[in-house]
Amino acid sequence: MRLKLSILIAKLAGTLSKRVLRKSGETIPGRVLLALYPHAISILSQNRKIICVSGTNGKTSTTKAIVEIISKLGSVTTSPSGSNLDRGVAAALMKKSEYAVLEVDELHLPRIISEAKPAVVLLLNLTRDQLHRMHEVKRVADKWATASKSAPETMFIGDVDDPFVALALDSANQSLRVSFGGRKHLDGAVCPSCGVYLKWSRNDYKCTCGLTNSNPNELFEAGTAAYRNAVLANVVGKSLGGKAIAIDEQALERSVDKDYKGVKAKLRLTKNPASWSEALNSVSGNDVLLIVTSREVDGIDTSWLWDISFTQLSGKRVIVCGERALDIAYRLHVEGIEVELTSNFNEAISKFAKGSHVHVLAAYTAFHELVTA
Amino acid sequence: MNEIRIVRIHNELLGTYGDQGNAEVLAFRAKFHGITTTITDVGYNDSLPTNGDIYLLGGAEDAAQLLSLEALQRGDNLEILHFAIERGAVILAVCAGFQIIGNKFWANGKEVDGLGLLDVASIPGEKRLVGDVKTISTVLGLELTGFENHMGHTILGPTAQAFGKVVTGNGNGDGKFDGAVSGNIFGTYMHGPILARNPELADLLLTRATGRKYAQITDPLALKYATWRRKVIK
Repeated sequence: MRLKLSILIAKLAGTLSKRVLRKSGETIPGRVLLALYPHAISILSQNRKIICVSGTNGKTSTTKAIVEIISKLGSVTTSPSGSNLDRGVAAALMKKSEYAVLEVDELHLPRIISEAKPAVVLLLNLTRDQLHRMHEVKRVADKWATASKSAPETMFIGDVDDPFVALALDSANQSLRVSFGGRKHLDGAVCPSCGVYLKWSRNDYKCTCGLTNSNPNELFEAGTAAYRNAVLANVVGKSLGGKAIAIDEQALERSVDKDYKGVKAKLRLTKNPASWSEALNSVSGNDVLLIVTSREVDGIDTSWLWDISFTQLSGKRVIVCGERALDIAYRLHVEGIEVELTSNFNEAISKFAKGSHVHVLAAYTAFHELVTA
Repeated sequence: MNEIRIVRIHNELLGTYGDQGNAEVLAFRAKFHGITTTITDVGYNDSLPTNGDIYLLGGAEDAAQLLSLEALQRGDNLEILHFAIERGAVILAVCAGFQIIGNKFWANGKEVDGLGLLDVASIPGEKRLVGDVKTISTVLGLELTGFENHMGHTILGPTAQAFGKVVTGNGNGDGKFDGAVSGNIFGTYMHGPILARNPELADLLLTRATGRKYAQITDPLALKYATWRRKVIK
């Protein structure tokens, strides 16, 4: 009875925050529910199939793809867009359904696994990100491995070309190892399992302790991150009896097309070295706008900009804005690429001619603001 | 000297916090002085080049830090570094790298002997120190800015002097000093990368490496960036 009442109050709080405070109201119900009823997640997870999606990049779009597949099997609830901390999970679970597909933050995943007891956990990748919060990649990987070890009923599915994902899968009782034929990893010099120098031959790794990306259960062709996530979504769907969907890379790369007074902008989320590299590979044409912000969700440290090679932008017209515009301007300057500094997005976008196609690569805060505007 | 040889030590291991940019900034600033540079990346299995002018080490997590230490103790590597110091080469070591070149440090819950190039010892603190740092450099008499992310508390021995007096942040853990200097060996907890945020320090390292005094560089963007960081970090 108390749980039902808590949910009612939480929903009311969400509505109030939307109507009165005119906020998005996405995290309020979850926050209120967890404050009133701390064990809500574990109780609300009973008698339904929970699917969790976690990883550094691609959580939101992959979650959406899985929802599409699972919705043909039964009723589905999912996390409010981009709200992947415990409160977002709680908010999602307030709705009754047969399935729940939850996007879960990397550091919150262990808690959600122990409380929600998911049927399936999909681990996409783990690379350096928000260092002020995540610190080293290995630290997050160790938490994942501990969590997967303590969830014998859960099926862990993941891309073992990423050694940190492989570690979590190796620790699990049930796992489905997917490989795309191997690829280099920026943080892959040390074996996350035993700490020795990890032996790589071209794109594959094999450690003396046994950690390797060989012997996958399913092997696919190599491709972009968006393609890989689509494949992984289908593997998850299949494991639950779902039918595969066609791979739409554009939808999965989380790019959004917008028109700003005749300037055609392709907005793309870039939040860490891995997602920047993916996005830079997709830049075509001559006009580029880069936005670097450094709020909590973006990472307050910008040192990682020096881990990215921007040579693809050489010879293009590059305009930058955002509160850390100077950081990226100087980083590009040292790489021999001169940019135009502007003080905000409106000023930046207005510098491009009508009819031009501009690639906008934006940090999380900026991307979110532009997409929801 | 017409060419400066920059040696980036174990970036694959000590490259967690963007410190590889220090090499790029050095090469970039050197160009203004008409000096050509080479950047040599040294891998875990490689021997150190014997003729480096500036050796760079960056930040890392514990397992990578221990592998780097082990590799630097292997073969002639430590001797090469000692010899480099004797002939006046520069060493800039950041965070985990700073701890490695000291006498002792802790990693994965154990105390280990460092390379002993700088008279410091590091112990683990209770909480992680994360955030912007501003110091006043004892060597340059200038404000320096950077970003710290570590748990180390570093204590200086009698032959090392502090690199900077802390204005904002924690530095060596006590909130008083950051890093250490001895001759041409520099250690610090500042990422950023430190030479990108503080181009004057890059120039000082080039001067120390060549023994020459260079004319001041005019690079308005570098100055604007450095000045802005010094202003916003209160």
